[in-house]
Amino acid sequence: MGERLIGRRQSLKYLGMLAGTVAGREFLAAWLPKSAAARELDALRRASYHAASNQPNERPYTPLFFEKDELSAVEALTELIIPTDESPGAKEAQVARYIDFIVSAAAEFNPSLQHQWTEGLQLLDRLSREKYRSSFHEISARDKEKLLEEMSLPEHDAGQTHPGYEFYRLVKEMTVEGFYTSRVGLIDVLGYKGLSALGEFPGCTHPEHQT
Amino acid sequence: MVGSGAAGGIAAYVLTIKGLKVLCLEAGRMLEPAHDFFTHKFPYEWPYRGEGKPGQYGKLPQGMEWKIKEWTDHLYTIPAEDPYALAPGSKFTWTRLRAVGGRTNLWGRGCDRFGPLDFKPKSLQDGWGEDWPIGYEDVEPYYERVEQLIGVSGSSEGVYNTPSGKRLLPAFNPRCGEMLIRKGAAKLGIKVMPKPLAVLSRLYDGRPPCHYCGACNWGCDVGARYSSLDVLIPQLRRRKNFELRTNAAVHTILMDRSTGKARGVTYIDTRNGLEYEAYGKAVVLAASLVESIRILMNSRNRDYPSGLANTSGTLGHYLMEHVAFNSIEGFFPELAGRPTTNDDGPGESCLYIPRYNYGHKDQKKYLRGWRLDFYTGCGMSPGPGASLPGFGSAYKKKIKELYPAAVQMGGYGEGLPFFWNYVEIDPGGLRDRFGIPQVRFHTTSEYDHAFAIRDEMYGQMEEILKASGAEIFPYKKQSPYPLGSVTHEAGGCRMGNDPRTSVLDEWNRCHDTKNVLVVDAGCFVSHPEKQITHTIMALAYRASDHLAEEFRRGDA
Repeated sequence: MGERLIGRRQSLKYLGMLAGTVAGREFLAAWLPKSAAARELDALRRASYHAASNQPNERPYTPLFFEKDELSAVEALTELIIPTDESPGAKEAQVARYIDFIVSAAAEFNPSLQHQWTEGLQLLDRLSREKYRSSFHEISARDKEKLLEEMSLPEHDAGQTHPGYEFYRLVKEMTVEGFYTSRVGLIDVLGYKGLSALGEFPGCTHPEHQT
Repeated sequence: MVGSGAAGGIAAYVLTIKGLKVLCLEAGRMLEPAHDFFTHKFPYEWPYRGEGKPGQYGKLPQGMEWKIKEWTDHLYTIPAEDPYALAPGSKFTWTRLRAVGGRTNLWGRGCDRFGPLDFKPKSLQDGWGEDWPIGYEDVEPYYERVEQLIGVSGSSEGVYNTPSGKRLLPAFNPRCGEMLIRKGAAKLGIKVMPKPLAVLSRLYDGRPPCHYCGACNWGCDVGARYSSLDVLIPQLRRRKNFELRTNAAVHTILMDRSTGKARGVTYIDTRNGLEYEAYGKAVVLAASLVESIRILMNSRNRDYPSGLANTSGTLGHYLMEHVAFNSIEGFFPELAGRPTTNDDGPGESCLYIPRYNYGHKDQKKYLRGWRLDFYTGCGMSPGPGASLPGFGSAYKKKIKELYPAAVQMGGYGEGLPFFWNYVEIDPGGLRDRFGIPQVRFHTTSEYDHAFAIRDEMYGQMEEILKASGAEIFPYKKQSPYPLGSVTHEAGGCRMGNDPRTSVLDEWNRCHDTKNVLVVDAGCFVSHPEKQITHTIMALAYRASDHLAEEFRRGDA
């Protein structure tokens, strides 16, 4: 590791420390040109993100609540709802693991959430076997998407019903929740820039929005 | 002095600087902002993304979440862990934050003054309800002093019945969406103005200005917004005539039978569960109104069988709360697809719509008026797009597209006082975790006026949003939220000139026992659409000022 790299890491660390105090923020605002301060803090945030989520040779994940097949079904569902396209999706944000973690934690105060998931996944397998003669995690990606589309029909047309609709809503709500509260969803995809320290808040500067 | 929050902090400050010897009993612990506030934490830095284990904090009666999050669950009292009672069919949302500074640690920071009509709703508005025994001119100098003390940003706009201070700090710069609403409302002849906020827009009184992280609701780590913990308590603790005793949950008021005056209080040290006594020449209750009422009721004895200060029989009655309900969500097509901007600003929205419907023609349906608040811009949640139908790449793109264009509008309508909305000591014998008898609420928000004003407000919000160019998502009208849901509960020991119909006199002293004062929102006679904390602080200032004067003259 070269000296320059260490130097950079050190400087990021100091910036981080400075940004954590009032005096530090005032110092930063005064000392760094504004765009530079913002860039450095942004780099700091990204560096910590990559350190946390892109570790190579990760050990295989052991689910806390779901069975192995169930977890792969949950992975497939979440990745259908928020797919990876030009930007990262539920896969990169590890939303299935988030759901596994939350549902396992529901044991204490809200065990009915566990039943909803267990029963929902069983229902999903039943629907899948009726239609495609195999359980959900075994059918093709195209068939999975088709099945989910059918389950979601009442969302578009209130007159429609589907036995899987309730479970579809549960999966969708928890996927959206898990994705947009993750670093990937909130920072990388939505591009949220806040919860930072600014010297001033310009507000709206667009002439077309002024009176 | 019982309590150290909005009312207690101000009252302790006034009494202490006037030279009185003050013992402040606080049921909660001391907070250290550096350790107790997690202002700059992202959701993904918490084990459960900030929401706690599923079901951990319980659900509100209307199925909503409590304000409690992982950022703040060590500050709030979790209802399931220390429950209160509800009469059959009753709902009440009781937000408790037992700590030095009380709920000012996490408050909404809005600093409206009540207007002249708000103190005289009966005689100056519509003949309904009661007038306050005081008028705006009595409170105005104290609004002024509170503003100077705590630091309020805003501007003086001269809006009818919505007075504002003349020496406020500069107002904050509004976001794009707020500007669009200002334009849209102007087309309808409705005025939009800067929201007075107890957040510093510049260095003030040795306190740093806001750094626009937007996370005030989790506690400000630098004290740029007012809290009695950050602003007043440190000044007071340097004074010899002020003592702060934490973890002291006041149980009863001690009475002197020979004089009929209070001589002190009993309190439970929450660390060892033992009961102690403290003595004083006056007892000032500022424990938040439900707690203050609970103390008065728990002080009942053979001389006061229905509770202290309750010869009128109105103690605990006339509880009020804003008429509030779900907000309307939508988006500005004009802003969709823009690059994201940092819209956190001073946490709150910078503009709002003060009441404008004076002299309306629908007095038979509903009384008085409302204020409207709106929230726009790139926040920490995916915005309204997430509630759209569908899934997949197109759905994800839609969320991203609408993210910078989100708008939400809600409001508060005036809540009315009714004798049948009341709180009492639980007849079932429920006790809190320290063994003190707990309250039972007998309250409903579902009365005719509330539904009527709600419908009027939905209509107005739709009109203003449409005039601003926003598209509105389909929404369902909900019943008005239970009392307490806005954390703007008020009343219960209202002030008045007639001891037969009120608990307190115009100086917040109990009619029955003049050296017992209640200086929190319990004294409110009406509940206009304005936010109430500023009025709590101004009245606490006024009452303490008067008490100190009585002491100086030797009357107390």
